[in-house]
Amino acid sequence: MTQVQQVLFELESDYQGHAYHVTGNALFNALARRVDARARKQLQVSHGVFVPSEYGEYPSAHSEVGYAGVLGKSLPAVENYADLFLYRDAAQRWLLDSRPRDAHNVPDIQSHGGRLAFAPRCWFGRPENVRNSKRSVQWFVQCYVHGGHDDDVLPLDDDVLDGLRVGAARNYGLGELSLKDTQLVELDELDYSRVEDTALNLELVSPFVLESEYPGADGQDVPWWWGVDGELRRRETRLVNGEEVHVLETVDHGQVVDFAGTDAVRTAKNGVLRVGTHAKYGFGEFRLRPAKRDRVPERAVGVGGATS
Amino acid sequence: MTSDVPFESPHEGPESDVDPMVAAFRHDVHKLRGRSHDAAQEVFRDARVNESVPLGADGDAARLSRPKGAPDETVANHQSPRRLSLVTGGTAVASDRIRASDDAPLDWLVLSTDPEVLHSRWLTSEAAAAYNESVYYPYTSLRFHVLLVAALLDNYRAGHEFADLHLVATPSGPLPDEGRTAAAARGSDAVEPFRTVLWSPVMSLHVTGEPGDRPSAPLGSCPARSFADTWSRLSAHPFDQSCRRWRRLDAQLRRVRSWSTALAYIEDYVAVYGDGDAR
Repeated sequence: MTQVQQVLFELESDYQGHAYHVTGNALFNALARRVDARARKQLQVSHGVFVPSEYGEYPSAHSEVGYAGVLGKSLPAVENYADLFLYRDAAQRWLLDSRPRDAHNVPDIQSHGGRLAFAPRCWFGRPENVRNSKRSVQWFVQCYVHGGHDDDVLPLDDDVLDGLRVGAARNYGLGELSLKDTQLVELDELDYSRVEDTALNLELVSPFVLESEYPGADGQDVPWWWGVDGELRRRETRLVNGEEVHVLETVDHGQVVDFAGTDAVRTAKNGVLRVGTHAKYGFGEFRLRPAKRDRVPERAVGVGGATS
Repeated sequence: MTSDVPFESPHEGPESDVDPMVAAFRHDVHKLRGRSHDAAQEVFRDARVNESVPLGADGDAARLSRPKGAPDETVANHQSPRRLSLVTGGTAVASDRIRASDDAPLDWLVLSTDPEVLHSRWLTSEAAAAYNESVYYPYTSLRFHVLLVAALLDNYRAGHEFADLHLVATPSGPLPDEGRTAAAARGSDAVEPFRTVLWSPVMSLHVTGEPGDRPSAPLGSCPARSFADTWSRLSAHPFDQSCRRWRRLDAQLRRVRSWSTALAYIEDYVAVYGDGDAR
């Protein structure tokens, strides 16, 4: 039995931390002071992905099909493996084409004396004859936690999850997260049939650590079961614990390689629980995807095709 | 270096035969003039305009930035050819800076018969940045649509198919003394005729079938709104990752699927946050 607890936070104030994610490390540090020593030792926290709240439709790999109403401000039920990733891709592919999807998926930037922050709402004007002349798109942050080999750590209580503060200037009211929704997911009970018996790609959802300055942390090579053609793009990032700053050399997230391993279902679960150094703090999350199902819908086999 | 006069080769009467690369830069003149495709005129000051672009380059470029099929109105209160900026939320270029009533910027963008001159002008024109590709998709950019059409057409004419093409990202190097003018673009090593689609202080982006060993990512099997996917698969970062404001731009670009919207976002972002002490 391997459980994960999905958590959806509402962003209450400007956020001034890492640009790509609210890191698992930031979320862990915010949670660690609220749980007991055993939970602190076992708790593993994913990176938090920014999610807008807007009308959407489920992607084709999702267990539900078609129009979904408003997504982003609640956690839909998880029945198959792909459902885990609905909100975990920055491109948020469920956004409707009939609305300005790119405008809805780019957070507004606020400057605080030259320091840039993401705003929790983006305002859009409307025609003057509409009664409420403005509407806004609100931002949420989705992450998940699990208890290593100790399932008794979960679920974390609502009052543990509510009111975290993350990012810079959090003592001045920035980076406040309130709990919006949470649910437990049993990984062993999900449907993995789409990743069995087929050629697969592996997509990095969070960075994979190659080198870490953290005391005692091991360096890692790119795993042999990633079919890598050429060099992977790297990115330097930092792990901050109070006054200590540790530089990490990572394989940058968002890249896609071939899956060259064997046991796809077991690997898929490992990708959710994450692999490599600092997996406890969100690094090394990946998703398997059938190679013929391109993540760009128009390019998927049987949908569209070359036109030139 | 060619001088920047609007119209180098005076004609008597309308032009007869137009270089397909020139046609690419003139194919959407009706949008700059606020006219529908059906009401488009064939001649603007003796220059042949609004001709169809060969080899399907126009349709393919459209698919990079807009959904397939019949267009839908996506922004209720903005039935206008003026582009909206994702950075500011408002219209991208203030009216008094494009002089809409006056055809001077249009002459500059349309009348040359040298396609390399036209490329350098579209690459640097603020006036062209004011317009969207379609009133239904106001965050798209006509300027980058036209540059993508030219890049695709040049590659197709060189024998590349769409599936061979790559996005290449390179550092732009120091600012030319005269600034980023059209003449400077033609003299810059950072700019490749037709295939450079963005020349900004933070980086240059090119669409090409010959990526060489530059940082690149394939465009995929067929034209689609794939900017975020292509961008996040680049083989190396084109700009300094130690700088917070560029990491923020990188993070935003991983969210934007429409190509012309993303390219316009880079320009708008650099204009607002590129200088000074923003971080």
